[in-house]
Parts: sequence; structure tokens; C-alpha cells
Amino acid sequence: MVTSSLESTAAHGTRPIGWVFRAVVSAHMVAIAGQPVFAGTYLSGDFDSLRWHTIGADAVTYIGYAQVVAAIAVWVRLRRAWPFAATMAVVAAETVQYFAGMEGALWLHLPLGVMTVAALVVQFIAVWRQPLSRRARANGEVRDA
Amino acid sequence: MRERDKGRSVRGMSRRRMLGIGGALGLTAVTGLSTAAVLARRPPMTGAQLHSAVPLPPPFRVPLPIPAVLEPVDTSGGVDRYAITQREASVEVLPGIDTPMWTYEGTFPGPTIESRRGRPVEVAHRNELPVPSVVHLHGGRTPADSDGYPTDLVLPEGWRDATAHSAHGMDDPRAVVTELTRDYAFPMDQRATLLWYHDHRMDFTAPAIWRGLAGLHLVRDEAEDALGLPAGPRELPLMIADHAFTADGGLDYPSLDPTLRERPGVSEPYLAGVLGDVVLVNGAPWPVCEVDAARYRLRILNASNARHYELEAVDDEGRGLDLVQVGADQGLLAAPVTHRSLPIAPAERYDVVVDFSGVPVGGRVRLLNRLGSGRTGEVMAFRVARRAADDSRVPDTLATDLPSWRREDAVRVRDLTFRAGRMGEGHGWLIDGLPFDPARADVTTGLGDVEVWRLIADVHHPVHLHLVGFRVLSRRGGEPLPHDAGLKDTVALRPGEAVEIITRFEGYRGRFLFHCHNAEHEDMGMMANLEIV
Repeated sequence: MVTSSLESTAAHGTRPIGWVFRAVVSAHMVAIAGQPVFAGTYLSGDFDSLRWHTIGADAVTYIGYAQVVAAIAVWVRLRRAWPFAATMAVVAAETVQYFAGMEGALWLHLPLGVMTVAALVVQFIAVWRQPLSRRARANGEVRDA
Repeated sequence: MRERDKGRSVRGMSRRRMLGIGGALGLTAVTGLSTAAVLARRPPMTGAQLHSAVPLPPPFRVPLPIPAVLEPVDTSGGVDRYAITQREASVEVLPGIDTPMWTYEGTFPGPTIESRRGRPVEVAHRNELPVPSVVHLHGGRTPADSDGYPTDLVLPEGWRDATAHSAHGMDDPRAVVTELTRDYAFPMDQRATLLWYHDHRMDFTAPAIWRGLAGLHLVRDEAEDALGLPAGPRELPLMIADHAFTADGGLDYPSLDPTLRERPGVSEPYLAGVLGDVVLVNGAPWPVCEVDAARYRLRILNASNARHYELEAVDDEGRGLDLVQVGADQGLLAAPVTHRSLPIAPAERYDVVVDFSGVPVGGRVRLLNRLGSGRTGEVMAFRVARRAADDSRVPDTLATDLPSWRREDAVRVRDLTFRAGRMGEGHGWLIDGLPFDPARADVTTGLGDVEVWRLIADVHHPVHLHLVGFRVLSRRGGEPLPHDAGLKDTVALRPGEAVEIITRFEGYRGRFLFHCHNAEHEDMGMMANLEIV
């Protein structure tokens, strides 16, 4: 019920590129949610989960790049910069995360992983809780970031 | 004020609040990651370090001792027979300080046994220690009855009467217990390599090794002799082990029961492993070895309970010398592998050639430990004393007899986890969620079967298989590392790491073991039975 009411308000005024961005952020969130699942089953002794964790890391990385592209489009078309800034922060964290995992730097890999998942959850809420409409060019707001 | 109103109209949340929330989340992230960075052991290390109560000697002053080669008492009938007495002895480990130890033949390390491939060796061990003992020849291709199963105790005189009422040890109906002496028979039907013998008594292996029950055992053959590797005085066995000392010169160790008679285990802070602050090589602290400006063959063994090293040979200018690996745990590699640094886990061996010919006379080459800090960052030194002729060589092809098992040959694939867990009322170390039980066959396999084992670790676990050598197929889902080359019997799993190994269970039927060779982990449950039928 809550979701549908959010949907109806959020849908109002959301442009096509806004929908694309929402879709990419959603896919990103789902993909990254799988990472702790595979890590946990791997450490429980399921060797194949390590491969899934690696495949998941690649998937998350590619979706992250797609989100960068979408966020640039949102910035250009909708004149909203925050999605780009937030996306870059997450993609940077994921890049560090990837190499920390490959290097076995678990002191970094575990906390950064938790934080990255949390950041994507926040982004997911942010893109769905209100319409991603084109931002009006108002007086005195031209130079506003 | 204007900004606040504007923010509210656009977002339903003021800009200041947004920044506040963002800032708080950012601060939490930065604080969390910095705390992890500060608290984390980098490089990671499993275990806790003891601190000696005696002043530590300066490095590179004590000459490197070479353990004496034991003379056989009898060589008739194509068998070399040796006699070793296990006894307490006072050993000068630190200069001018007598340290009471448990020894083989009164020395630490114990005497070295030199054997030839295919010529059987029999060792009569006599136990004059105050506790039962078990001898295991690590890396030996040995029938089960001489492999030193942990409950196959050799009881000291009077032990049975003294402990008739105690419930020491687990009940093991298959245990073969002897009184005072036991003859161990080693066929030596195996590749030439460096083995080592050490105590393997149920629940008390770690403190027994720590107290000195360890010695070297070499296997040689004609093929290796013919290679022209550095030999004679230019072949140096290096048994590296860390220890710690009490104020009166004794060995420090956090045993719950210092008599090592009844209650196994170590105190809480040392459950992950006991690390010392003194690095001994062949029983001498940070020794120095005088060498010719020539190639040397170093037969390196990490006989530490829990300490991992990453060895690097560095000259006076800070330049690293190549460590040319020619052999692994189970003998020669197919071809040499050149390393700049070489990680070595407890019980692993590396056969390495180092060339000192580029070092000026009077120059020094230090063997450093990149995983150590402070004094444990140094291991020993070599001082180049003179120029010398050198007719040794490192052939491009070292061996052609390495097994060529392929993944497709495996009749079984097993996943095995090595993790911390609950053991009874306390903390233990478990294989596949279970602590060691002599009565349970954890792995049953047929003689001659090829299997792939996929080993998964939580923290550092050097995993050792008795009886067989294996090859490393993969590490962390990728290619093995350069030092995984060759035939091994112990593989170091690092935190969160998985390693795939392949082996053929050949040689002898019977009950063998596989276990973590962090000796404290081994005593706290991390062993399992390997039943070959």
C-alpha cells in the first residue's frame, strides 16, 4: 500500500530519463544486495559462492557505470546534479571495494561493503520518494548547484 | 533564510538539514573506515605475541648452528636404524642463558636424519619426558602405524599408574599405545625433499613443539645429486621458529596446565595462535652465517607454531637478492621459480638458491621478514667472507617426475571449511563445523583415488595433509600464486581465502590425518581423519 501511494506521487511529473535512472538505481540496489549473501554462503563453506560473489562484483560494477551514464543524462536533461554526485561517490567506493576484495584487505572490504549497500539504499529511497521532474529555472537560481 | 525557504519548497527538507544528514553519514563512514584501518593488522596476522622478560640479544652476532647429522646405530639389511631419546635438557638458546627444553637427544633442534630415497629408516624413540609423546614425520610417505597418530602414545615410565584415575585424552579404541619406547618405520619411498619430525601428541602438540620437540629429516636421491645444485657446506638447513622467554630463561608459553599433563589449551588471548618475539634459526637468535661469494642452497622450514613469514634477502644497499625456488614441501619443482619475497607458513618448506657472488667481500645480506614488525622483522644474516670458485648450477629443468593430475581425473570434489567455532563449552577451531574426534571418519577415500579439495578459511590456516603431496589448482578462484608451484603437503590459506588442491591418495591404506598446522588451532580441534580404504 505504501509503495503504491509512493508510486502514484512519484510517478507524477517523472520524465522518461527519470524512469531510466530509477530503473538503473533499482537494479544496482538489487545486485549489491546479493553480495553479502554470496559472501556469507562462501564463508559458510560453499565454494561456488565465491564465484557468484565475483560475478556479482562485476555485475555491480557494470550497473554502476550504467548509472553514471544515466546520472549524466539526468543532469543534462533534468538539470539535477545530485544524482551524478551521489552516483560518483558510490562508484568510487565500489572501485575501492573491488580491489580491496581482490587483495584480501578484509578490514576495508567488509565495512566499505556495508557502507556502499547503505548508500545505495539511501539513493533508492531518494529516487523513488519524489518525482524526478525537470527542475525549473527560477530567478536567482541559475548559479545554484 | 531565503535558501532555507527555497530548499523546503523544492525538497520538503531544508538544505541545511540535508547537509547535516549527509555530513553525519559521511562522518560515520570516515570514522568507521579509519577505525578499521587503525585497528586492522596489516599485513593480517593470526595469533597473539608473547613478550620475553629477558633482554633480547642484538641481531647477527650468534653464529648459525647447523644441527648435527645423526649416525645410525645399525645399517644392516638395507635399513638404516637410529635411536633417539626424548628427554629434558638445558639448552643455551640465548647467549649465556640456560633454557630448560624438551629435546630429541638433548639438542634443539633435534639431530638431523639423512636418508636416501627407497632405503628404509627405522627410528627407535625412547620417551624419557614427563609426559606421553608421539612422533610424526611431517611430509613422510609413511604407513599409518608409524605416522604418529595423536593417540598412538608412547607413555613415559610410570605414567599409567600415575594417571589411572584421570580422564586424559579421548577414548580411541584404535589407539596403539606403547610404554617407554616405540619403533617408527619409514619406507622413504618418496621424492627427495626436506621433511621434519616433531611431536604430535593429542591436545598438546603446540606446547611440545614450542618446548623443542622438532628436528630435520632429509631425503636425497641420485637424480637430485646429479643436478649440480650447491651442496656440502653450501647447503644450509634453516629451521625458523619464534619463541619467547621468561625472566629465569625458561620458555614462555601460555599453557592452561604448565605440566602439560591433563588440561590442554592456552589462555584466552592466545587462542588464535602463540607468537614469540625472538626469531630463532636452527635454535639461535637472529644468527649470522659466514658464506663464500657463491651460490647457496637454503633448505628453509618454518617450524613456528603460528607465525607466518615473508622472507626477503636484502644487501647493505637495500637491494633485494633473487630467491630462486628449486623445491617445495615435497621436493623439486619442474623448473626454478624466481621470487623477490617468499611467504612461508608454519610447516611449509622452501628449497631456495641464493647467489651471494654479487655481494662484495665483507658485505652483509639480511634475511628479513616482511610480515614482522620490530625485532620479528629480522630473521638472520649472511656475511660474505671471501671470493670463491663456484661450479654449482641451477638447471632450467629440475624434475620431470611431477604428477600431472588434471581436474577431470578427480573422482570426487570436497568442500572443507576451516573456521572458528564453539567446541564444548569454549572456543575451538573446526573443520566443517566439527572439532576433531578420533572415532569419526571425516573423509573416506579409496586408495588410488584422485580428489579435488576446496579449502575455505576464515583467518590464516596452513592446511596440512598427511601421507600425500598435492598440487595447488587455484587460489581465490584465480590462478595459484608463484610460490604455490610444485608438490606441496601444506598450503597456507589467508583470511577469507579459498584454495583448490588436487591429489591422489596413494601409498598406504589406513587412518591418517589432515589438519591446520597452526599448532594451537590443531590442539583446539582443527584436525580431521582421512581414512584410506
